[in-house]
Amino acid sequence: MANIWTIAANELRMMFRSRSVMLNTFLLPLVLIFLLGAALSGVVGVKGDSSIDPVRVAVVYTGGDPQEASAVADFMKSPELDGYIIPVESSSRDEAESGLRNGKYGYAVIVPQDFDGKVQRGQEVKLEYILGKNSMDNTVAGTVFDNFLGAINYRQAAVQALGPQAAVAAAAAAEPASSRETAVKLGDLNNGGQSYTASQYYAASMLLMFLLYSGLDVSGSLFGEKDRHTLYRLGSTPVTGRELFFGKILGIGIVAALQCATIIILSNLLFGVYWGNRPWLLILFCLLMIVVSMTFSIIVSMFCKTLTTANTIVNFVTVGMTFLSGGMNPLPDEWVHSVGLFTFNHWAMDSIIRMMLHSGLSQLLPNLWVMSLIALVLLGAAIFSYRKVGYHA
Amino acid sequence: MAIAELSNVVKRYDQKLTVDHVNVKIEEGEIFGLLGPNGAGKSTTISMICGLLEPDGGEILIDGLSVKARPLDVKKRIGLVPQELALYEMMSAAENVAFFGRLYGLRGKLLKERVEEALAFTGLSDKAKEKPSTFSGGMKRRLNIACAIMHRPKLIIMDEPTVGIDPQSRNHILESVKTLNQMGSTIIYTSHYMEEVEAICDRVAIMDKGHIIACGTEQELRERVAHEEKIVIKSGAGPLAPELLDELNLHPRINRVKTLEETVELYLPSSQSELQDILFIFAKHGGVIASLQIEEPDLETLFLNLTGRTLRD
Repeated sequence: MANIWTIAANELRMMFRSRSVMLNTFLLPLVLIFLLGAALSGVVGVKGDSSIDPVRVAVVYTGGDPQEASAVADFMKSPELDGYIIPVESSSRDEAESGLRNGKYGYAVIVPQDFDGKVQRGQEVKLEYILGKNSMDNTVAGTVFDNFLGAINYRQAAVQALGPQAAVAAAAAAEPASSRETAVKLGDLNNGGQSYTASQYYAASMLLMFLLYSGLDVSGSLFGEKDRHTLYRLGSTPVTGRELFFGKILGIGIVAALQCATIIILSNLLFGVYWGNRPWLLILFCLLMIVVSMTFSIIVSMFCKTLTTANTIVNFVTVGMTFLSGGMNPLPDEWVHSVGLFTFNHWAMDSIIRMMLHSGLSQLLPNLWVMSLIALVLLGAAIFSYRKVGYHA
Repeated sequence: MAIAELSNVVKRYDQKLTVDHVNVKIEEGEIFGLLGPNGAGKSTTISMICGLLEPDGGEILIDGLSVKARPLDVKKRIGLVPQELALYEMMSAAENVAFFGRLYGLRGKLLKERVEEALAFTGLSDKAKEKPSTFSGGMKRRLNIACAIMHRPKLIIMDEPTVGIDPQSRNHILESVKTLNQMGSTIIYTSHYMEEVEAICDRVAIMDKGHIIACGTEQELRERVAHEEKIVIKSGAGPLAPELLDELNLHPRINRVKTLEETVELYLPSSQSELQDILFIFAKHGGVIASLQIEEPDLETLFLNLTGRTLRD
């Protein structure tokens, strides 16, 4: 055991003395999280609710008398519109358009002459909308008046089919359901009722990508001993192959764990990245990812003759898996749930995002089992190849 | 008592015998030289003694322990100075020595003392905190030795430790080998430099193509070739004429003629009796002699005698 610690300490000493390792391990992930999170905040994640400011709507009664359009006038007074629109009676179309241009109004509605009469008679009648400068105001006011026209169309249809007497009954039936019960039930699509931001998404993605990259340290270390001939000398010392193997794994694993802690803590402190409500499970997934990346690199290193070849393969797999799991840019669901299933990142990424959204344990455990299985299989394969293929000077 | 005993040791690479039934016994306290050209099997033999390679046949005992059965106990008794520099460039000289010291179980104050001792022994005390990347080739070689001796091994194996260094560092290393031996360590010293082996070794084994072709003290080995002397003649007027060389080759009392640019080496049973003939042949073909030297037989002569090749071929 003492030799394992001695070798691990030696690995740590050498890695911490390498400026490039320090920059790539601790600084680069944070810079990438910041850049990607800031640059792609509009295309990633579920946006939070926006507050709606009431829209000042100019209402122009073309006939000059609001009583000719009592349906519209009554609708304007209904309390459900409070907070959404502020109706302002305007004397003319020109005055309304002028108000729209100078920002006095956000929207305008032109009510045709004899509106009520035409509705009652089942004749065609149209409200004219004049859009303002603000798209949100246009959307809000447009939605309100579209709903109003929907109700009017319903009433007209009743009149045409059943006669004028039916209009009263139809008006009652068209009363908003809100008075009785909620027509729309708000679901919890994220299961935790929260959304994730671009920074969260890329923090998780970069964390996993850099953990997968920690495999490069393993291949670098294994080939480094060969290249500097220290493996030959180590072979002549009373150190077993097993001690050398686990010493290296431990040393590089500690650096990867520190990298992981740095990314999680600093991304939280600097960019406000929220990592979810299950820190122990997060740590477990990270440790599994470290085991996966290191054992994968050991297997590659055992079968490659040069460091360049081994690094090329590890790099290719890391970038490829990060991309296919949606870690570089969110991919369509059908991709993520087909090709993405064959990547190491997918299972951990999916879990971390779910933890960020406060998903239940039952949704996380399947991923945990899959990650554990991958780690176990790769560990077995790494030990087998280390013993069979050998690690010799 | 033998500190190392190799019995019928065999090693094959792709069915080719690299070490072919080697039998040798190295006594405790001696400096044992392993001499041979590149590819003779010296390094493979060393690797098997250190437990780095497993023999395909035979047995190796170190201090009475089987390398195969008890590799870790054997390794604790050995200090290997590899042919290639085996150092961590990012660590200081003291850290390099200390790292390997820890692997031999040294800790705390004892480790510190041994590191200082090893660095002092190799003349690197004032460079303890510097990294090997700033060292000269000779200093790196000395540090390479320091990393192998800090645990005071009973058997120190040096695999061509003077390759590619300046004469001053080379002398320092050779003196160090003698001192280590005087301090109680047995040394196995491999080289293809005959002069080094002659200068420091008590006994020498000459290896070629995986075989030990001769083994004994320097005196014993010299006696095996005492029947042959060497005359080295240097021409004073460019390369020698082909007719002159032909006549020397045809001379019945000259065993071999070897030419190297303006120098010719003649191997013959007795230089005294044939010297007059040789001078006559030179005069006959207009050969100009710049210098003439009669050399006593050495290990090089022995190797040539046994294999028909020189150590550096």
